[in-house]
Amino acid sequence: MIDALRRGYNAFRGVAPPERIVPAMDGPLRPNTLLDEAPVVLDLAGVDNLVATADGVLLTSGRDLLALDGTGDAATARPLRSFEHPVSCLAADGAGGLAVGQDGRGVLIVGGAHDGLVVEQAGTMRLACPTAALFLDRNTLVVANGSTAGPAADWKRDLMAQRRTGSVWRIDLRRPGAATMLAGGLAFPAGLAAAGDDAVLVSEAWRHRVVRLAGQAAPVDVLADLPAYPGAIAPAADGGYWLALFAPRNQLIEFVLGERRYCERMMERIHPDHWIAPALSSGASFLEPIQGGARKKLNTLKPWSPSWSYGLVVRCDARCKPTASFHSRADGHVHGVTALCERDGRLLAAARGSGRVVSLDPQADPDLGGSA
Amino acid sequence: MSALLELRNATKEFRGIAAFKDIDFALRPGELHAILGENGAGKSTLTKVLAGVYQLTAGTMLFDGEPLTLKSPLEARHRGIAMVFQETNLVPSMTVAQNIYLGEEKMFNRLRGLYIQAQRFLLSLNFYVDPMALVSSLGAAKKQMVEIARAVHHKARLIIFDEPTASLTPEEKFHFFNLVRRLKEDGVTIIFISHALEEALALSDRITVLRDGALVVTDDTANFDRERIVQAMVGRSLSTELYGQAGKRRARPYGEKILSIQNLSMGSIVRNTSFSIYSGQITGLFGLVGAGRTETMKIVGGVVKRDFFHGGAVILDGRPVRYRTPRPAVKDGIVYVTEDRKIEGFFETMSIAGNIQIGDVATGSNPLTVVSYARARRLAAEWKERLGVKAIDSDAKMIELSGGNQQKVVIAKASIQKPKLIIFDEPTRGVDVGAIVEIHKFIEELADDGIAVVVISSYLPEILALSDRILVSRQGRVVEEMTIDTATEAKIMFAAVH
Repeated sequence: MIDALRRGYNAFRGVAPPERIVPAMDGPLRPNTLLDEAPVVLDLAGVDNLVATADGVLLTSGRDLLALDGTGDAATARPLRSFEHPVSCLAADGAGGLAVGQDGRGVLIVGGAHDGLVVEQAGTMRLACPTAALFLDRNTLVVANGSTAGPAADWKRDLMAQRRTGSVWRIDLRRPGAATMLAGGLAFPAGLAAAGDDAVLVSEAWRHRVVRLAGQAAPVDVLADLPAYPGAIAPAADGGYWLALFAPRNQLIEFVLGERRYCERMMERIHPDHWIAPALSSGASFLEPIQGGARKKLNTLKPWSPSWSYGLVVRCDARCKPTASFHSRADGHVHGVTALCERDGRLLAAARGSGRVVSLDPQADPDLGGSA
Repeated sequence: MSALLELRNATKEFRGIAAFKDIDFALRPGELHAILGENGAGKSTLTKVLAGVYQLTAGTMLFDGEPLTLKSPLEARHRGIAMVFQETNLVPSMTVAQNIYLGEEKMFNRLRGLYIQAQRFLLSLNFYVDPMALVSSLGAAKKQMVEIARAVHHKARLIIFDEPTASLTPEEKFHFFNLVRRLKEDGVTIIFISHALEEALALSDRITVLRDGALVVTDDTANFDRERIVQAMVGRSLSTELYGQAGKRRARPYGEKILSIQNLSMGSIVRNTSFSIYSGQITGLFGLVGAGRTETMKIVGGVVKRDFFHGGAVILDGRPVRYRTPRPAVKDGIVYVTEDRKIEGFFETMSIAGNIQIGDVATGSNPLTVVSYARARRLAAEWKERLGVKAIDSDAKMIELSGGNQQKVVIAKASIQKPKLIIFDEPTRGVDVGAIVEIHKFIEELADDGIAVVVISSYLPEILALSDRILVSRQGRVVEEMTIDTATEAKIMFAAVH
């Protein structure tokens, strides 16, 4: 009764219910500037999908697949191939095979035992929004389909429409038609990682959590109540995980998400770049909401000001509990990190929003103010 | 110089157990004499004998060279001896002015005149206390001020202060020290008991150290330093144990997020504060008086309620909670150890075992369960040994214990509830250095066992010595977070003030 009264009052006054309150970035998520201080190894617009293979690190930009030559200060990206659709995810099987997510179409296998195979459908569902892929072995691919309503590039609309149509599929590449759905009704699954015993970790972006899927069992929260939207997950060399959170939550966005009529009219009438919504990068246009005094003082952008975009990489232990984090705050220049890959004792982070790849020391201790 | 007051072979026993034994003590006229010692060393008992609360079991007391036996504090006051007790002895239902002039009432009292007189007197002491306020509405610091004012008002020749500064703010302490110096200039002899060794070193002319009921040393203050005092008090050097770990250790790693406070508000005291608490760590919460630290944690522990509609959220293990009383909080594993142990921490006329038993019962055992006093005594004996409570036995009444031992029982009472989050509010206020080390060690053990520990303290060395992670509160909200690796006193204080 009291809860019902409180909900009614909250709805009337516009007070956020607990699930809409953005948790503080504190403890292991305490802000720092380590992402901004990290050496930039590559500047490339739209950089995304870092994958380590035996031949080196691969990455993508739009429709292009590229190889990263060197990880030092002067790395270059060498074009390998161009695809028909934008690449939305990338996974390597360790034996020369690549799973390439084709945004709006499906998953294309390049090289290896299943070269040329295109998986467009899993069960009865079209894989039109492949956001993450993971090889469990050479013949078994796990794919996250972010949404049934649109391509991965239209993620912002999926969030603002509050869709919960994502799913995770296990596909036997020898019999692609017989795919098994590991979980459905997910709120934009955006990252996958192997968790041992045939289980996978899935980052569920719009529910701000990471869940563990084991067989047909219901998803189990391993990390919840995040202050930003989780995306890519990558295994760490020390047995833990790296988690990229590609955009920040803030109270204004949470408020707008609760105002359905306003939200729908905003989506109908305004260009997505100018929505009150999270973004991979921001500050480029004066048409963006929240400008001026709220964000700047003496013409300097306040690091703690509300921002549509942010850079955040979290180091987690083997139980997926955060132990440290690397930030690029509101005034930073490594926003919208969507891909991570640890190689040769360095962690490479691809910031699609800012269009750059930075190299981090995986053992850097933010609490000591250690340099990345 | 002949002594104003002298004790010869003085012994005081309770039920055959000596609180102090064969003490020879002399007080010079006009001096400021500090008496130091661990809790249970016999300081309070000694001073209570001087103030007429207790009578000596053996030995003699001389005042102005004449033998003296005081039968009551009233008699002591008539002789010019006043004592400001550690726990204030004011009448809560009376106003400040009525308390100051208690015992001097006339047949017909003109309250207005009394208030004006009290106001002038309090201002002359630089104590900003409303004379018309009911004592029950005052905080601990202001009650202490009224107690001091009452002693000064009686124009005593000898004033005994038992831990007068334990609950005063730095500014109030400054005024208090000035007052003490002024009294000394006026020829008043002062005995000063304090656990803050720096205060004793800065203020006193001579220092006496007691240990286990025996007088260890009396010497001029100029011949003492902190290390010598501590060594005399505990019989060994504590320089590496007492606040010695600050800056020399690494923080414990973050455990599970046990508690998440989001936009918590309560009136104008707690204002939209957000932070998290992790298991297996000690989170220090620092702030100046009025920063809302205690109130925030009292909301978490169910001691007070947050605002109903705009109160924000308290999320325990991922579940929103709003406690109306401490009992459901205790059941959920949250325990709050109060800063005001005498009022909120224990029942003073009950025994140690009885108090610890209350903590055990509060965990929510079956109401039909027969409460076993034998079990209570067994538990009390275990905790008495674990925390080093100095008492005759588990049946000793709380009122008979020294401040530090009372605090240990309060901590035992809380710890027996097997919490997953334990909040210590000023855990070592009014506690001696030896007990501080023991309490700190126990708090560290709790964190090592994976329990989430919050320590609220106004004493920066304590925050730095204990905490893995430090939150700084200002004007009702947490404004800064730092780890022990990077925190310094200057950084913390800057965050607390600016």
